[in-house]
Amino acid sequence: MEPKSRKVMVVDDNQIDLYIAEMVMKTTKFADEVICMGSAREALDYLKPLHDRPEELPYLIFLDINMPEMTGFDFLNEYKSLPENIRKKCIIMMLTTSLDENDRKLAEENVFVQRFLNKPLDKDKIAQLK
Amino acid sequence: MTQQTTYQDMHDAYLLQVKHKSDKLMNYFLFSFFTAGLGLAVFYDTWLVAIGIGGLSLVAYYATKWLLPDSDAYQYIVSLVFGIFMAQYIYQMHGLFEMHFIAFIGSAILITYQNWKLQIPLAALVIVHHATFGYLQYLGYDKVYFTQLDYMTLQTFIIHGFLATIVFFICGLWAWQMKKQTEVQIEQTYEMGRFQEEQAQRNALLQSNEELRKSNKELDRFVYSVSHDLRAPLSSMLGVVGLCEMGEMDPFIEKNVSLLKSSIKKLDGFIIDILDYSRNSRLEVDTQEVHFADLLTDVCNNLKFMCTEDQRKVEVRTKIENGVAFHSDRSRLSIILNNLISNSIRYQNPQEADPFVEVSVAITASSADIRITDNGIGIESKNHEKVFNMFYRVSTQSVGSGLGLYIVKETVEKLNGVIKLESEPGKGTVFNIHLPNLAS
Repeated sequence: MEPKSRKVMVVDDNQIDLYIAEMVMKTTKFADEVICMGSAREALDYLKPLHDRPEELPYLIFLDINMPEMTGFDFLNEYKSLPENIRKKCIIMMLTTSLDENDRKLAEENVFVQRFLNKPLDKDKIAQLK
Repeated sequence: MTQQTTYQDMHDAYLLQVKHKSDKLMNYFLFSFFTAGLGLAVFYDTWLVAIGIGGLSLVAYYATKWLLPDSDAYQYIVSLVFGIFMAQYIYQMHGLFEMHFIAFIGSAILITYQNWKLQIPLAALVIVHHATFGYLQYLGYDKVYFTQLDYMTLQTFIIHGFLATIVFFICGLWAWQMKKQTEVQIEQTYEMGRFQEEQAQRNALLQSNEELRKSNKELDRFVYSVSHDLRAPLSSMLGVVGLCEMGEMDPFIEKNVSLLKSSIKKLDGFIIDILDYSRNSRLEVDTQEVHFADLLTDVCNNLKFMCTEDQRKVEVRTKIENGVAFHSDRSRLSIILNNLISNSIRYQNPQEADPFVEVSVAITASSADIRITDNGIGIESKNHEKVFNMFYRVSTQSVGSGLGLYIVKETVEKLNGVIKLESEPGKGTVFNIHLPNLAS
């Protein structure tokens, strides 16, 4: 199903990785709008008020794991308690450098996580997502 | 074994203590007996007997003790000596009946040694003495001084003997019981000590175990953080390189970017190798059922990104014969296969029209035999031993970290397996891995 607005959110504390993700998605025309969030907290603050405007929600969220203050898993814990219309709308993908089996397992066990991707995001990986 | 000797040591040490204490008491008793003999000499003027027999008895006792200090013969001598003193006193007091009780005093004193057998010489001496002197008196000899009775009936004699026997028997019984009780106490003390020692050891072990676990956990955390922090900038660099490749590039820049990319990948591969090595050496074997088909699919998917560059695609063929479930550590198997298959891709033979790597797996209830065959450049036989060494690289053209096969060997060994290599330059390489089925 082709979403109406192809809005994608990227949550990463690393500015360069945010830039890479944005550039890759824009160049490959994978997304019309990329929302770059420098922290998990910022991302949650962005999502929360959108429960009465679901059309403005991103349909995909790329989530980093290792972030200061609030990790990707902390984000998922809080995401659980967000209103259902937000949770239904968004698909979460982990985007991380981690090769740790436990991280992968934890991500795969989480119902909100669709995929576990290793950085960097490039055109081949984007092609696989299409 | 050591346990028994320590118990024996304790046992011997305690009995030695009993012996020393009792020996000391004997000095007082013997002195008193001798002095008492001198005192009795006053009544019937029996000085010769008091000094002679009493003195000889003491000499016999101390001489034995001095000559045979390690034996307990002197204890039997003291038992005899008590009997002799009884006889001496009876004689000195001209058969005074109460002097027969001296035997009972001796019998009671002997309990202190906790050895029932010490009653025997005393009892024997008393029997011989009574029989001899009783008989001599019966025969009518004068100055025997055995009893003040003119005539001792057999019945009196028997009752006399019977009661004496009971006293000796009871004193022997007490000695025996005391010894038993002492032994039980020693055993309890010993067990208690051993228990406390074991407890202390166990506590020390638990503590060091806890410390080890903590440091292991910290190390794991450290390795995780370091590898992440080292790899994160590398993946950013790769990302930026990827962005460059998406646009149009001047051929000169394009070449430089691709060199940059291969360096970044090499460094990243090196970090991953170190991470794999550290994981393998520290983490416990995590046994689960392994589906080789899935595992190989995962491994090949991971490697797909690897052969996109200047290298030709290498066909990965898999042959799996499974009828039985195979149990082992999936992530370790993944490390093994990943390293071996990527080596086959990396060291493919440019002269070969159809480069391939074939992975065949045969599973039985007890083991799995994994055979990885390629038609790559091969390894010279003189290097067969060395390729598994840490940081060994066959030539300057080798692109890896020099850790790959070392990690493979270490990982196979961690799974209690064996890895063997057959290879001929220009023909290809075969790795045979034999792994036990860890189904419990």
